[in-house]
Amino acid sequence: MKALKIVPENCTGCMRCELACSYMQTGTFQPSKSVIRVSAFETHTSYSPYTCPQCDEGWCMTACPVEAINISGVGAKNVVSDICVGCKLCTISCPYGTIFYDPDLHKAFKCDLCSGSPACVEVCPRDAILYEEAEVTDWVGPFATERSKGPGGLLTVRAN
Amino acid sequence: MAKRHVIVGGGTAGWNAISTIREIDKGESEIVLVSDENPYSRMVLPYYLSQEIGESHVYTASETQLGKLNVETRLGRRATTLNPDNNRLVLDNGDEIDYDNLLIATGSSPVRAPVPGADGGDVHSFWTLGQAREVTAGLKPGSQVAMIGAGFISFTILNALIKRGVELTIIEIAPRILPRMVDDEGAAIVQGWLEERGIKIMAGVEVTSIEDVSGGGKTVKLKSGADVDADLVIMATGIKTNLEWLEGSGIEVNQGVLVNDHLRSSESNVYAAGDVAEGPDLLSDGKVVHAIEPTAMQHGRVVGANMAGVDTAFEGSLLMNIVDVLDLEIASFGRWDDEELEVVRVVKADRPAYRKLLFEEGRLVGAILLGRTRDIWATNDVGMIKGLVQSKCDLSEWKAHLKKNPFDIKRAYLAAGAAGNLIPQTLLGRPSV
Repeated sequence: MKALKIVPENCTGCMRCELACSYMQTGTFQPSKSVIRVSAFETHTSYSPYTCPQCDEGWCMTACPVEAINISGVGAKNVVSDICVGCKLCTISCPYGTIFYDPDLHKAFKCDLCSGSPACVEVCPRDAILYEEAEVTDWVGPFATERSKGPGGLLTVRAN
Repeated sequence: MAKRHVIVGGGTAGWNAISTIREIDKGESEIVLVSDENPYSRMVLPYYLSQEIGESHVYTASETQLGKLNVETRLGRRATTLNPDNNRLVLDNGDEIDYDNLLIATGSSPVRAPVPGADGGDVHSFWTLGQAREVTAGLKPGSQVAMIGAGFISFTILNALIKRGVELTIIEIAPRILPRMVDDEGAAIVQGWLEERGIKIMAGVEVTSIEDVSGGGKTVKLKSGADVDADLVIMATGIKTNLEWLEGSGIEVNQGVLVNDHLRSSESNVYAAGDVAEGPDLLSDGKVVHAIEPTAMQHGRVVGANMAGVDTAFEGSLLMNIVDVLDLEIASFGRWDDEELEVVRVVKADRPAYRKLLFEEGRLVGAILLGRTRDIWATNDVGMIKGLVQSKCDLSEWKAHLKKNPFDIKRAYLAAGAAGNLIPQTLLGRPSV
């Protein structure tokens, strides 16, 4: 199954993915409604996108009391808006912070891989987001760790 | 011969057990569901009250669906006696059902304050679908509603009540509202927010009786001498586990049915799940009753797997709740009220925003988040906080930073590798379907 593969080293922080994503998901150019989010690692002028890993457990999906979240044809956990009542159980169950709640519509929403042609991938000018056969893994963690530690990082490394 | 699994209780735990058994055995075993109500989700009743959804939306499984899953139903029936010695369940109509495995998922029931008039007319609980129907039918725009109890259940229906145009007074015996979901600081912010929006709140007061008013309506009498007039009273003063029917069965109970890491009771072929179960706690070695929907779901699935013969251990449940009232978001996780932990709290003076993080050594073990709905969902780190607690990942290097910047969860989450810890985790050792 194809998945979103994040290559943090390639990200320049241009935020085009957030704009494209929010437009696809909600029809507005509003990064606060994007379901892919770019983190800045200021001390290094580094950036990385982060989004739903479409995890095997599907914490959001199993938590839903009305079965409003299913697995789409492209393997994305997908919120069926008409069934969602907006109870937010999915948002406290997902341990990745990648299910979102729209305060205007009172519904949950999340990355649905744009039904197989992710807009974030299409607009990324530097191949920091790829859509290809890939394992489910933490693409951002090791990069974030490295950019947070060491000389000039946010964290000072302890002497030991 | 096919095994017979008997499920007692058609709520979230029971329904999840049934669907998990069928995911695994594709219909091979016999399943009998005993439930006094048709299966539905309690979690969505507030949206039925607000009339955003119709009654058909609340059901989790219709009789037709259950039939398709090859589930024999005994709806409208209650279990009265369990005889583990001969693996037999007795129902309230005298029917006897023999089982190979049995699930106790009888949930909990609302408890009313022990005051005269608590069971009078126009005094309602909001727990079952039947009660939700009564309250829904009893409200008119402009109705005066007295809500006794300011806990999670009350708060889940506040938005619906306001949407229905009622005038609301909340009466709570504890010194603060939401006593089991937020601390004093949090409760004060919530109370201020609601009062600014026209909801009357009386905390730390005791109800002495509920009386009929001649010519219609009710009066809630308080010890302080004040009276609260109402057209309708909703009593949400706590719940108790439905254990009575197990008396004499020999099944070990404490606050709930005591179960091990496979959710087996003291009888290995009798399981318990959901509100009625006292099982493993994710954050301690002890056993707990977590009467919340996510625990009922997880318990139900783990029991279903074990009943179907797939050995599945449960790591433990995590206390968590979220509710919004008039666009103020309130969430808490884990050991949010354990002041013996290392606590960091920040209140923003300029807007309703409160955050409390609780650490045990290098781990985050609890949190309270409170803020305007729009702020909370723009930040969107609610799930990450849950992920940090759940993954138990080492934050020792980040603790100092988080204590100064408790809103900078995301960077700590990413750099601590929480997602990497979590990705291999599944409840049943396989991808969910």
